[in-house]
Amino acid sequence: MMTPNPGFPVRLALAAGVLAVAAGGRAAAQSIDYGALEQLFGEPVTLSVTGKPQRATDAPANIDIITQDDIRRSGATDIPGVLQFVTGLDVRRSGLAGADVGMRGYNQADNPRLMVLVDGRQVYMVDYGRIPWATLPVQLTEIRQIEVIRGPNSALYGFNAVGGVINIITCDPLHEPVTVASADGGTQNYAAGSAVATGRIGETAGLRLSLGGFRASDFPPGPLAEADALSRRNPYTGTLNADGRWQITPGIEAFLTAGAGDTRVPQISPAGAYDTESLHTNAVRVGLNAESGIGLLSLSAYRNEALVSVFADTASPGPMPVLAPSDFHERQIITVLQASDLVKLGTDHTVRIAVELRQNADNSALLSGSASNLIYAASLMWDWQMRPDLSVTNALRLDYVQLDYHGTPLPGAPFTRAQFDATTLSEPSFNSGVVWKATGQDTLRLTAARGVQLPTLMEQALQVPFGQVGPAAFYGRPNLNPSVIWNVELDYDRALPALDSTLRTAVFGQRIDDIIAWPFGGALSIGPGGIPSFTSENAGYSTAAGLEVGIKGHAESGWRWNASYSLATTTDHTVLNQGSPVTSVVEYAHSAPRNVVIAGIGYSRGRWEADLLARWQSSYLDFRMAPGFAGLQLVPVTVQNYVTANGRIAYRVMDNVTLALTLQQFNQARIAETAGPLIERRLILNATVRF
Amino acid sequence: MRSLLAIVPALLGGGPADAASLSAHDLQVLGRALAFAQPAPSGTQTLAIAYDSGNPASRGDAEALARLIGNGLRAGAAVLQPRLVDTASLAAGGFAVVLAAEGAAGEPVQAATRREKVLCVTADFAAVQAGSCVMAIRSEPRVEILVNHAAAAAAGIEFAAAFRMMIREI
Repeated sequence: MMTPNPGFPVRLALAAGVLAVAAGGRAAAQSIDYGALEQLFGEPVTLSVTGKPQRATDAPANIDIITQDDIRRSGATDIPGVLQFVTGLDVRRSGLAGADVGMRGYNQADNPRLMVLVDGRQVYMVDYGRIPWATLPVQLTEIRQIEVIRGPNSALYGFNAVGGVINIITCDPLHEPVTVASADGGTQNYAAGSAVATGRIGETAGLRLSLGGFRASDFPPGPLAEADALSRRNPYTGTLNADGRWQITPGIEAFLTAGAGDTRVPQISPAGAYDTESLHTNAVRVGLNAESGIGLLSLSAYRNEALVSVFADTASPGPMPVLAPSDFHERQIITVLQASDLVKLGTDHTVRIAVELRQNADNSALLSGSASNLIYAASLMWDWQMRPDLSVTNALRLDYVQLDYHGTPLPGAPFTRAQFDATTLSEPSFNSGVVWKATGQDTLRLTAARGVQLPTLMEQALQVPFGQVGPAAFYGRPNLNPSVIWNVELDYDRALPALDSTLRTAVFGQRIDDIIAWPFGGALSIGPGGIPSFTSENAGYSTAAGLEVGIKGHAESGWRWNASYSLATTTDHTVLNQGSPVTSVVEYAHSAPRNVVIAGIGYSRGRWEADLLARWQSSYLDFRMAPGFAGLQLVPVTVQNYVTANGRIAYRVMDNVTLALTLQQFNQARIAETAGPLIERRLILNATVRF
Repeated sequence: MRSLLAIVPALLGGGPADAASLSAHDLQVLGRALAFAQPAPSGTQTLAIAYDSGNPASRGDAEALARLIGNGLRAGAAVLQPRLVDTASLAAGGFAVVLAAEGAAGEPVQAATRREKVLCVTADFAAVQAGSCVMAIRSEPRVEILVNHAAAAAAGIEFAAAFRMMIREI
């Protein structure tokens, strides 16, 4: 069974603590305060691109920062709803709460190519590297900004950060206290509530508590087969989170965040079937930030735990309708230790050195035991301000990965336990960027990157016998190569003061080598006894090219606007889905819309606030499981192009009380956004009280 | 005709003739930047607006700056109350920050701020590049802050590391 080593995090944390205390004696200043720096420079500030605090316009990456005002005005009830109207992002809903988010032409069910962080803690499921969007322990009202970085950023974050990074930053309880209560009601029997309260002890300690959740009736199953339809249950979530900061001295700050969640979300599985996943999650993160004579020291440790259970109907007719047994359970644990030093050397150079130790562990019936990855990583970032108008940034990271398997390979499995335990990987990744501020209004940005997507635990060690999820056996492959993502990009931004706007453009090219195909739909072979078996595999490569053009602005008159167009063309060169039947959801060339147009307009006057957001996207190809052929055969479904538009109007009844009415998808009662349930129009009434 | 149009706003009490070397927005930026000094000023302090008594334009700029600041400039936990000081009188001390008016960021200001270990701020980027003053600020078209690292060290001025990483240092 799974045996994460409890000793190593403790030893490292103790060592890190000694370093922090030693450095603390030379501490001289407070740690990073987003709000104060944003007010000073008049624009959002980010640490997400290089680890160094930067103005968004100076960062050597294509980054959008979604502010709390943007979130509120979107009328969205969850984070995918906010991201749906961001240039270059593809959001596909498999129901009212289930969603997958991709970037720049690459998306799929349970997309493993995105890195999502909440206050520096990476939130993902170690089984397939997917993002449990409905489980994120954060209320929309406590978010200060969501940072969207397009393109690979593995040199800072490691694996998963290959399509892009979404960094969710909440309000600092020490510097930005927020206390707010919110209640929603709407169609689909939607009822939601949240409460956020911040308390401070003097000037040196702050604690923010938040809790919230929703319940609703999900959209009807629509075109789903009977087994899939019966496997869906109505969604709910409930999360509780605490965020505490303590300024021990003017230069040393300690933080502790802890949270727990309970969610049930109908979703699409990696095999293309629909089921309902219940997650019980808890997480804790502790750390220290210290300003010292040797730079800004940061030490942190966190642990995410998720208890997973999947409900899939087992009683409906069909030869093999079962994706997973209804009593299926899984326990996933992520343990991470991180230490970094960020220091400015002289007047022109900033360097960040970081080390990371990570253990991803999964104990699952699908593994016939447990498996874990132990990852050692070291990274170096060097930012050089060559001239007042020209900066160069280079970042390099090395990852060493060791697979540890505790289980019994199935009889007839193609790999032995010794082969699992002998698996190691060493991979470098880099990010380089040049930012040239050609004039006070023009900025050019040239970036190049090598990102690494490590195989996930299911891709490496899955063990599913014949008959458990379909008429075949399914295996992971321990000796998979990681996917390597090469990316080059040229951006041009121009301030348009006459229009109170900023124009942003980007062209990019990308290539993914060694695409990893999940065991479901992977390489087919005939094993002993004539049993067909599928094994995960490196399936070939894919290339993509695209462009983004967008304008965004606002005027003192109260008007605001945005419009953008994005194009992403993708070509696959894989061994997957050659002829019939179609077996793999990895079909990048067709599985994301090629053209997307997003537009928005809003107006604020006095106590009123009104916003319209619209998105048009071209058609794409989605998949759902062929009835009775779990893991073996998929039905390709062309999702036709569509327009979806949201409207929100809000009125401030009192200085601290706002009522808002949001009509999501007001232009159409139902839209097929995936091969799954049709997405329905929603009406939501919200009341928010700020204290 | 163009010259005549330029004179009209001056006669009305506004426009270039009365414009201070730092705008209200610049001063707002200054207040916020001072919160990142180590240690940051606190309480009620004096902001010396230094001017060259032999230069009427310098005196005029200092007065314009004082009018813009009014009763005080908020800088984090501190309120800086303006006081006009002839550069020759800076030696008397008694201030937390020196704001060098037009033409004032010269040797006397440099000597006084180094001796008193206080920060010198100006709109004159050339003066900061020359080391006469520690910090220059402008807010349009975007916020730019320039700090002379050597001059800061000579005056014993330190800034928060995050702040240093986001400004231009020479």
